[in-house]
Amino acid sequence: MTHTTKISGSFILVLFIIVQIFLGCGAKKSQEDGVVRLTYWCSSNQFEIELAQTVVREWNSAHPGVQVAFQPIPAGQSSEEVLLAAIVGKTTPDLCSNIWPGSVAQYVEAGVVVAVDTMPGFHEAVELRTPESLVKAYRSRDGHQYQIPWKTNPIMIECNLGLFREAGVESLPKTYSEFYEAAEKLVRDRDGDGYADQWAAYRDVKVDWWQRFFDFYTFYAAATDGKALLDGNRVAFNNAEAVEVFRFWSEGYRKGYLPNARFEGDAFLLEKYAMHITGPWNIAHTEKFKPEGFEYDFIPIPVPDGHKGPVYTYGDQKNIVIFSTTRHPGQAWEFARFLISKENDLKLLELCGQLPQRVSLLKDSTFADYFERNPMMRKFAAQVPYTVAVDNSPYIQEVFDAISQEYDAACIMGVKTPEQGIADAAKRSRTILSRG
Amino acid sequence: MPPNGPERFCPGDKDRSKIAKSLRMKIKHKIEKGNRVGYLFVSPYIIFFLLFTAYPLIFSFVLIFHKWNIIGPMRWVGLDNFITLIHDALFWKSLANTFIFLVIHIPLQIVLALIAAEMLNQKMRLRVFFRGAFFLPVVISGVVVTILWQQFYSTDTGLFNALLTHIGLPRVPWLTSTKAAMPSIALMATWKNMGLYIVLFLAGLQGVPRYLYEAAEIDGAGKLQQFLKITIPAINPTVVLVVIISTIGGFSLFIEPYVMTQGGPLNSTMSCVLYIYKQAFTFYKMGYAAAFGFILAFIILGVVWVQRKVVETEVYT
Repeated sequence: MTHTTKISGSFILVLFIIVQIFLGCGAKKSQEDGVVRLTYWCSSNQFEIELAQTVVREWNSAHPGVQVAFQPIPAGQSSEEVLLAAIVGKTTPDLCSNIWPGSVAQYVEAGVVVAVDTMPGFHEAVELRTPESLVKAYRSRDGHQYQIPWKTNPIMIECNLGLFREAGVESLPKTYSEFYEAAEKLVRDRDGDGYADQWAAYRDVKVDWWQRFFDFYTFYAAATDGKALLDGNRVAFNNAEAVEVFRFWSEGYRKGYLPNARFEGDAFLLEKYAMHITGPWNIAHTEKFKPEGFEYDFIPIPVPDGHKGPVYTYGDQKNIVIFSTTRHPGQAWEFARFLISKENDLKLLELCGQLPQRVSLLKDSTFADYFERNPMMRKFAAQVPYTVAVDNSPYIQEVFDAISQEYDAACIMGVKTPEQGIADAAKRSRTILSRG
Repeated sequence: MPPNGPERFCPGDKDRSKIAKSLRMKIKHKIEKGNRVGYLFVSPYIIFFLLFTAYPLIFSFVLIFHKWNIIGPMRWVGLDNFITLIHDALFWKSLANTFIFLVIHIPLQIVLALIAAEMLNQKMRLRVFFRGAFFLPVVISGVVVTILWQQFYSTDTGLFNALLTHIGLPRVPWLTSTKAAMPSIALMATWKNMGLYIVLFLAGLQGVPRYLYEAAEIDGAGKLQQFLKITIPAINPTVVLVVIISTIGGFSLFIEPYVMTQGGPLNSTMSCVLYIYKQAFTFYKMGYAAAFGFILAFIILGVVWVQRKVVETEVYT
């Protein structure tokens, strides 16, 4: 055998091994043993991994014929990006539990998800569990349901009670004018350099479309009692309430109640500002990192003066979908039902500190002990029936981007009036929707 | 073909032509076999090139005539992507922003890098340390540098404004004003990339023959004259290289606005590549993004061609 033949022989061998490895990666486990095998992707945060581990262990021991293997969503910049890659590569799991409702419309259009309302027991498992307004919001344009409502993180305002007391503000704000009144007292120049170094509140001034979930959209939901941004394929946010919300933020920046800056790290716990717009996940964070003597409380989103009734907010929901690549939609649905059962909803609360999308959380005895031990979570649980999701439209990200651009111009930079800002956002959104 | 024919190898054979043919075949076979092994050795690169350069390029070309959101089917739209681009105000804005960045960044970078290289080319104490120190930002991750500078630039809590107010000057809205944001990013990018160009200029400076300076000194030329009349013309190839590299790098401006401003305030830092990225990976408008990508490639080609025509000169050494 010549030297070159040896080299080419070795090279072919290496290539063969590499090809075999790649083929091996995609190989399906044998189905010969009659056991149905499902793959379930959960969120990659450590608490949800722990939850998935517990739930899957219980399911597998009770269902030897349907074995579930769970895996955290593979690393990527966002879950949505990873799922898109998986959809393109046809490597989606049977079901996934960290789906942002705003992305489902796109999956439906592409035909990659299973309609779950055709599954047995959908009404009992989903429609009786979830607030009606959310079930309606999740309905696809073709009238079917493609997502199984799972968890929610209602957005509220965390207040630093120490700073409120120090500023002489006796009650926490409920309306726009109470907010301004408190803000006037909370802004301070502590080092005497002529510039404020403590503010009433803070919002990231970046123009990422999703940043508007925590300012414009949350306040819009509160001001309109949970109205949607779109009505089918028409813009519905071009209204007086939206203008008022823009005016609220615009005044806040103009009067210096909020800094036009970006903070790194937790400036709220460093007491640089007194009100933090956040979700229930921040309770554990505050408890872990708060300085000694730090007192805090959560309040609903302020509403326009004269507003009556419950205060709505954005729910930052995450749902479950079954991908159409599954060969066992029935079993996947059964596992999803198990995942949203009362017992597992309690585990979601206990292990992750996140709320299930369940109407009766505070009335149900299953959860009574948990809320007894976690009084802060009770406030968020009370908000669950009054949360809104994002509109079920494949263009919703672009619509949020249009709003974000105008929010930047009208509220942060103050180069447009609130009226002009909303009118321009609506105009741009109409163009986006008509192009679709 | 065998270079010298078979005659040299088998003189005196009766059936020359038969043997010659057989030899020719053997040599040809050997060469072909050698080629095959050669191809095998270069195949990793060829596979890499086909997968990661040729295929994406061809695919992008196909994309520019289509509407595609990654998960749905592609839809032929002809030249619609280009027509929409021409009418898209943000397309023109992102081009203008990128040119603003280039106009500030390239001259600033060249001048500062050249001055620093000239200083580091002199005999001085701790020269090796300073050369290393100037190069350090180049090897640090761009994202890390950007996050660090973002904190320096913070209007209300940043180090720069703390220093300014300490000496009685007003605060500067580095990243929160439409006028200051892009120059601030250009300043940061200059600091980050300068080390690389210092190294290039140092190499260029060390290649300038000593006798030119000695002759100039004898003729009575001062240091400034020597620098302007000898150094600058002599390092023209390095200047051309630096201009071209920094132009291409400048057109690829992405990490800095992506991390620091997301294109704001009021899209004043929306660069071409950031806009392409947003269209492709936020809104999944792959065809639209590909169309802009192709236009950008041709713009870069045009700008670099003009730069070469303007900057490049014959060098006498």
